[in-house]
Amino acid sequence: MECAVEAENLVKIYPGNVKAVDNVSFCIKRGEIYSLLGPNGAGKTTTVKMLSTLLKPTSGDARVLGHSIVKEPNKVRRIIGIVPQELTSDDEMTGWDNVYIQAKLYGYSRSEAEKRTREALEFMDLLDVAKRKVSTYSGGMRRRLEIAMSLVHQPEILYMDEPTLGLDVQSRRHLWNLITQLKKEGITILLTTHYMEEAESLSDRVAIIDHGRIIAEGTPAELTSKLGGERIHLIMKSNNEAEQLANRLSELGFNVKVFNETLVVTVSNAAKTIPELAPYLSNVIEVRITRPNLEEVFLELTGRRLRDEEPIDSFRYRVMTRRLRR
Amino acid sequence: MAGVVSSTLIIAWRDIKKWIGRRAVFVVSIITPLIWIAFFGKSMNIQGIFTSRVPENLPPQLQNLMQELFNQALLNAFGTTDYFTFFAAGMLAVFSLFQSMFSGVSVIFDKRLGYMDRLLVTPTPRTAIFLGKVGATLFRLSLLEILLFAAAVALGMNLKPDLSASDLLAAWIVIMLLSLGLSSAYTTLSFYAENQEVIFAVGNLVNLPLMFTSSALFPVQQMPSWLQAIAKVNPVTYAADLVRYHLVGKPINDYLFHISILAVVSLGLFIVGLALSVRWMNNR
Ligand SMILES: Nc1ncnc2c1ncn2[C@@H]1O[C@H](COP(=O)(O)OP(=O)(O)OP(=O)(O)O)[C@@H](O)[C@H]1O
Ligand SMILES: [Mg+2]
Repeated sequence: MECAVEAENLVKIYPGNVKAVDNVSFCIKRGEIYSLLGPNGAGKTTTVKMLSTLLKPTSGDARVLGHSIVKEPNKVRRIIGIVPQELTSDDEMTGWDNVYIQAKLYGYSRSEAEKRTREALEFMDLLDVAKRKVSTYSGGMRRRLEIAMSLVHQPEILYMDEPTLGLDVQSRRHLWNLITQLKKEGITILLTTHYMEEAESLSDRVAIIDHGRIIAEGTPAELTSKLGGERIHLIMKSNNEAEQLANRLSELGFNVKVFNETLVVTVSNAAKTIPELAPYLSNVIEVRITRPNLEEVFLELTGRRLRDEEPIDSFRYRVMTRRLRR
Repeated sequence: MAGVVSSTLIIAWRDIKKWIGRRAVFVVSIITPLIWIAFFGKSMNIQGIFTSRVPENLPPQLQNLMQELFNQALLNAFGTTDYFTFFAAGMLAVFSLFQSMFSGVSVIFDKRLGYMDRLLVTPTPRTAIFLGKVGATLFRLSLLEILLFAAAVALGMNLKPDLSASDLLAAWIVIMLLSLGLSSAYTTLSFYAENQEVIFAVGNLVNLPLMFTSSALFPVQQMPSWLQAIAKVNPVTYAADLVRYHLVGKPINDYLFHISILAVVSLGLFIVGLALSVRWMNNR
């Protein structure tokens, strides 16, 4: 199978010996949506920056439609679009100007650039606000503008680095629809996210990345089916109590795991199992039942949850959240 | 090649459009040269110091003689009996020194807000990014220098009687050369610097000394010899002398030497700056 993007043993070590990406390899097939799912600091942005020629890999290489990101960066730049994690549009200018400048940077004549600007804005539902200053846009509009800016040159491959970060549910759904449409247009998409719903509902395939390494890869169904059954989460007051109960339940033959003060029991049918467990639940604060999802796959693999929110570059983050709140 | 030109233009256009769009900043930057010329130039009333010293109870011939002597002293020092004219010409050069500093600030903001990454993922030639930033500064400066010059003339700057269009053009080229060097230096610094404070700190460190150790405010011959040595390597001196030569008519010994020094220093800064900036863009 031909890869649209093929990463081969990518490594990035930042100054100070921070190994942000540790020997990552994957193949994104033409026309699919491929997601990198991982928590803060997993190395998603670093990977995307290397694939978009912004950062030089410490070692390894990647090919984008056959072109090496190290040796032929200019060829790669022509065929990729990138929606960066942070908002980069200029809020002192209009949406139109932001996209138009982008089009000019790809070398189009004035009339061609104007035509492409209009198309990109229209596709992102922004044409009617195009002449307004970006500072008057909502968070969702700004995110869509970022995508419009990345589409003017009709890239064959689009990288989106946490495109829905900080958006409310409604704007997020709107964006998901647009991303699905982009896929229908035949664009190959690399998406990074730490929202498992996003990875699950949009992607054809997902790579779970943690501490710079890919720890699992497959379709969402493949990844979750490995876990099997349903899961009962028993939340206790302390890790100690959780351990005690876990011992008792495993003696009874249950499949039990402990994460901090949470106990996870994997069963084939949760509703039928709970009455069986009832005598042991007196110290339990809360019971939750989940079907296996990517969040749990991550938990299973790393013993940690996906979402331990923490800002990235504090300045960018502040600017970003301030803009998003407006 | 065509790519470099059109990319440079669009990158410069963006900066200029933003500059004009920021109404308050735009107005302030237009008022600044006017304030400078009016307040600085008129407060340093050096002729006044001399004229007020001629005692009035002396016989008229003696009064005239003393005035004559003072004028001679002024003429020796400034090449004109009118300090404001001397100063205004120097100010045209100094203003370029201070404006050039700002070309760095936009690079730093573009970097911090992630716009620089946006630029760098396009196939835009890296040289065009540098040229666009420096070009925008030169454009802004040209507009402001015209205003500054007009204000100086309105406030009584005495231009040389045979001033020609080519003199004006030459003075403009001199100022652009100076700014080309300085804004290249500041732009390069901004690629490597982490935040805008670095630019202002360096500006504070460098700009005032460059101004005072040049012939912009005061003639070099009046300085102690060690200071003269510094003035001789300061490009602002050459720019100020050249502007003065073209606009006011104060003679200079060796025109070719002056223009060559200025050109070598400025083009040197430009070429080194361009190379270092492109290096930064390609090596991350
Ligand atoms: N410029 C840098 N210098 C040094 N270390 C860095 C730099 N940028 C990122 N890192 C480190 O590299 C690791 C990976 O960062 P990266 O931004 O790629 O993570 P991420 O998966 O995108 O996280 P997030 O979800 O928070 O955006 C982190 O440990 C981070 O602290
Ligand atoms: Mg990131």
